[in-house]
Amino acid sequence: MAENAMDRIARATPPGVARKIRGLSDRAIAWIFVGPSIFLLLAINIFPLIWTIRLSFTNFRVNRINAPVKWIGLRNYERILTDPDIWQTMQATAHFLFWTIFFQVLIGFTLAWLINKKFRGNDLWTTLIVLPMMLSPAVVGNFWTFLYQPQIGLFNYVVAFFTGADPSSFSMIGSIDLAPWAIVIVDTWMWTPFVMLICLAGLRSIPDSIYEAAEIDRASKWRQFWTITIPLVLPFLMMAVLFRGIENFKMFDLVVQLTGGGPGSVTTLTSIDLKREAFEKWRTGYASAYAVILFVTIFGLASIYVKALNKVKER
Amino acid sequence: MSRFFKGIFTLRRGAWEMLASILIALGVFLMMQPFWLLAYTWSFLVTLVGTVMFIIVSHFPE
Amino acid sequence: MSGFSVNEPSRRMKWFAGILVVFYALVTLMPLLWIIATGFKSPADSIAYPPKVIFRPTLEGYVNLFTTQTRITPDMEEGLEPPKNWVEQIVRDKGMVIAGPSRYVQRFMNSVIIGFGSTFLSVFLGTLAAYAFSRFRVPIKDDLLFFILSTRMMPPIAVAIPIFLMFRQLGLSDTHMGMILLYTAVNLSLSVWLLKGFIDEIPLEYEEAALIDGYTRFQAFYKVVLPQAMTGIASTAIFCLIFAWNEYAFAVLLTSGEAQTAPPFIPTIIGVGGQDWPAVAAGASIFLLPVMVITILLRKHLLRGITFGAVRK
Repeated sequence: MAENAMDRIARATPPGVARKIRGLSDRAIAWIFVGPSIFLLLAINIFPLIWTIRLSFTNFRVNRINAPVKWIGLRNYERILTDPDIWQTMQATAHFLFWTIFFQVLIGFTLAWLINKKFRGNDLWTTLIVLPMMLSPAVVGNFWTFLYQPQIGLFNYVVAFFTGADPSSFSMIGSIDLAPWAIVIVDTWMWTPFVMLICLAGLRSIPDSIYEAAEIDRASKWRQFWTITIPLVLPFLMMAVLFRGIENFKMFDLVVQLTGGGPGSVTTLTSIDLKREAFEKWRTGYASAYAVILFVTIFGLASIYVKALNKVKER
Repeated sequence: MSRFFKGIFTLRRGAWEMLASILIALGVFLMMQPFWLLAYTWSFLVTLVGTVMFIIVSHFPE
Repeated sequence: MSGFSVNEPSRRMKWFAGILVVFYALVTLMPLLWIIATGFKSPADSIAYPPKVIFRPTLEGYVNLFTTQTRITPDMEEGLEPPKNWVEQIVRDKGMVIAGPSRYVQRFMNSVIIGFGSTFLSVFLGTLAAYAFSRFRVPIKDDLLFFILSTRMMPPIAVAIPIFLMFRQLGLSDTHMGMILLYTAVNLSLSVWLLKGFIDEIPLEYEEAALIDGYTRFQAFYKVVLPQAMTGIASTAIFCLIFAWNEYAFAVLLTSGEAQTAPPFIPTIIGVGGQDWPAVAAGASIFLLPVMVITILLRKHLLRGITFGAVRK
């Protein structure tokens, strides 16, 4: 529709007066309107990006400005991609990614399906459920450390209440076994509403007539669910999963406030590791190569995401 | 499936985008799998190829 | 939607679904309610075991949040005038006096300045760009739109390395201006994509009529399109504002004092002897409540905002 917008307006404009009343040509206006945005993005995103790529081939360190900067080729990439510690970090990220997406899809879809039963007041409750997702992850993450305190924390108290364990016998963010789950729980709490909202949109986009036709064919409810509901919600679900995947691949604020990457390095996700390399050890060149690896991965995932986005848009 | 191969040979966007997406997904999987260090080492190259390919093939005709 | 439908769930199903959803909502709201409640607890109540649901509310947390205090000895206290107001009374009861205001207000104001500044800029630039993308034939439009969106996907820590160097060169580190520009760039993607959707929905006929009436393209844009797009612009602005308000990674890396916003500051609130949870909770409550209220007001546009305009309803 946008494609023929100009043509339609051009047709609506009497040819003789067209030039006079338009003043500037459409093309000029288009560039004046788009230009500043593109310029800002070039200055604040693309220029730094190119700079990062350049730095990634050097041994530059910000804290040693006067040291000679040497061009070391692919050495940084080589070191990162053969480092078992960074591989470990990737696995910590994978654990976080996999389980958060698993729980968010499971709970989010179930909630959407229940809300779609249109009980009275479902709008109000949907809005309330959505609240955590709009809040500042750092501030909320910081407060969760309070809820996770052994003995006095609300979370430990509630778990202890239902399991009968001693509330001071376990520390969600202090123990190597539990910390990876502590961050999964908070992220799931925060972002399940996101998956829920998108699934709900998917469910509501299915026209009643499809179910009615299935009903006439005497398909069971169970069969309808698997042959109609799931396939039609799937593009929406894909979009939600990809978005959460990208977001959690670069997760920083929530986890850094919750565990700071500890204990040991069990919750050191890639972004947290990268922050240490770049802003604590100040190995700028090395960190730049690390950043480029994350960039490319996310750029790839983002391409798939935009494809999924357009698929949903067509619906 | 045959449509997919036909798309590959006639340089159609859909089929090639699918291929690129699979490469990217494979790269991400290799990067995060806990089994094989060597696969992690080469995962980035797979992702890079997939990503560059995606950018190129998204300009192929539908 | 009237009349009999095979898909109308049974009464029993509705009850079942309703109870489960309400249960989930109550559980998920617990941490938020706990933040608000903790803000009104005394330090002793906040760390009591078992956790106290019923307690005597006090404003001690809020007083601690806004002031810095020093301890005084009993004989020093005798020389002092009696407390002038309830704030001083609360502090005096602990054997302390107010030494001055805390930095919370300043950090909060930084959040406000940077949030509104960047929101204004990104919505302004975004509206222009979105209009052009919606109405004109822009070369390599799809690539530009993808490029704009992909800038938002980038991990902030990775982008922060060169930005950190760049800001240092330009003298923008730890300034409002630097943060406003940065957040504007990040928010541009959202505002362009969202606003393009909103402007796409405005029928072309209005503009056609205006052009025939002798308006220039420019006049048609701000006299016809802008008023029509106002709802869209307002909800886009709110989404940008919420992002800038909540942002942490850039803020913690690129600001330290002068321009630091509230999210990196709130976790650093430390009382006398260990973290002062009521003060932290008070700070968090003041910071989070506006967003909660806005979310409720914004519920109709929420879905659109989180999917970059892909899902309209």
